[in-house]
Amino acid sequence: MILEKDIAHRIWSDDERLSRDDFRRLQLERLQNTVQRVYDNVAFYRERFQEMGISPEDIKSLEDLQKLPFTVKDDFRSNYPFGLFSSDRRDIVRFHASSGTTGKPTVVGYTKKDMKTWKELIARVVTQAGVTQDDTAQISFGYGLFTGAFGLHQGLEKVGAAVIPMSSGNTEKQIMVMRDFQTTALISTPSYALHMAEVAKSLGIDPKKDIPLKWGLFGGEGSTEAMRNELEQTWGIFATENSGISGECLALQGMHINEDHFLPEIINPDTGEVLGPGEKGELVITTITKEALPIIRYRTKDITSLHYEKCQCGRTTVRMSKIQGRSDDMLILGGVNVFPSQIEEVLINAPGIGPHYQIRVYKKEYLDKIEVDVELKDATYLDSFAKLETLNQDIRGRLRTVLGIDAKVNLVQPASLPRFEGKAKRVIDERKVD
Amino acid sequence: MAIKQLSVLIPNRYGMLGKLTNIFYEEGIDIRAISVYDTTEYGILRTVVDDPDKAVEVLNRNGIVAMVSDIMAINPEDRRGSLNEIFHILADNDINVDYIYSFVVEKGGPQYFVLKVEDIPKTEAVLVKKGIEVVKEL
Repeated sequence: MILEKDIAHRIWSDDERLSRDDFRRLQLERLQNTVQRVYDNVAFYRERFQEMGISPEDIKSLEDLQKLPFTVKDDFRSNYPFGLFSSDRRDIVRFHASSGTTGKPTVVGYTKKDMKTWKELIARVVTQAGVTQDDTAQISFGYGLFTGAFGLHQGLEKVGAAVIPMSSGNTEKQIMVMRDFQTTALISTPSYALHMAEVAKSLGIDPKKDIPLKWGLFGGEGSTEAMRNELEQTWGIFATENSGISGECLALQGMHINEDHFLPEIINPDTGEVLGPGEKGELVITTITKEALPIIRYRTKDITSLHYEKCQCGRTTVRMSKIQGRSDDMLILGGVNVFPSQIEEVLINAPGIGPHYQIRVYKKEYLDKIEVDVELKDATYLDSFAKLETLNQDIRGRLRTVLGIDAKVNLVQPASLPRFEGKAKRVIDERKVD
Repeated sequence: MAIKQLSVLIPNRYGMLGKLTNIFYEEGIDIRAISVYDTTEYGILRTVVDDPDKAVEVLNRNGIVAMVSDIMAINPEDRRGSLNEIFHILADNDINVDYIYSFVVEKGGPQYFVLKVEDIPKTEAVLVKKGIEVVKEL
């Protein structure tokens, strides 16, 4: 059980609890510097601003941010690899890149100052997730171009935790190390953590009793409340979610965004119009302290909302609600917008089946059809086909309330669906032509 | 005495039966009886093996869940009308049969029938009284 006084003590920096006025003052000053910086150094932005008739002097208030153009993922591709960089090549001390599953990867560069900021921000994220100097943290993200492993590594070292740079894969060894090194914090994707628990059990190791894990810091992919419960119960941990720019605190009231470094907005993904606090839309981020790669109004495609009330944990930084999907992985089924996370929520709460699933969407006679594979966990349903069918009907009924259309449910053997060590790919949409 | 039967979820896809029998083969488990009904996407495979406890353990290790349940087996006389009599005896005693499958353990040997009923001792008693052979072990 986490006590209120514990939550309040876990704040890394005083900059996480500035007054709203102080945040706004700081943000405006830093935004103006950033706009000037990209105007001076990045041809892409300078040309865009000029086309729109904007100069850095036009940014007189935070609201003026809305005058600036958006940056989208494609802009990274067309300026690959360094076209958006704002620093001299010789000032760059580190490169990272996205996995680039679709086309060219997105390249990120860091100056010495950027590295320092990054460490500081991750120190905040891990502190608010419960980790202290007393912890031993196992990083089960893949080390490499992907930012996750190195980012967490640096921040965890900064707070003084003992870091095990395990990287991903070789699950049996992961579990051996966890048990033998007495790991107290796990850093991984949520689906890999679930997979690890399954493997541990198959090795005769009780994840709850035999491994002293206390904290789970999950990222790299979204997860649902139900998945969090499953993780907390199987591992006996307190689980939080974090991303590159935000993270949950122990009060679990959304993900805090460090507003002294990032300026968030919520827009209507169709019109680009800026929405108010609490309204649901696409998250747009402007970096305001980056040297190597400042980005103006980057469209994340993540659907969420922003909440500015002070958090129970004592932080005053804005909180974004759990990501409810990505504007690009949203499925439209017979006219109804559905996020895979909603389907996941249903499946995880249904009896008899496990947390893993695979969705196939296809067209039959011009109609959208959806088929969901789920793993049967509880053998007692095998007593009679009638019992299996009742279970199937139950799951279908639950899905219908969310999807609006009837889904076909296939029960499959446990451990037969693919497991993912990185980002989970659970949706196969066969309707897409490309 | 009841015989142990295993029930396993079996997807209706190529190679699924072979995957299962392979596991049994490699672990030296002998299949005495097996049955699968035609279903749409998945069904239940029922099997009687020589070592049910080991079979469950082996299946679990391979990520397959299996349910163990009690069934009974009979060895009806090989003559016309024998099954007809048996089913009438069961009906007269209000015994409902969930499913039946038949098999031969040895070539040229007797043909056994597996019966899934709610109350095995009662069914056994009823049938034995009428002179039907109840099989104790497969």
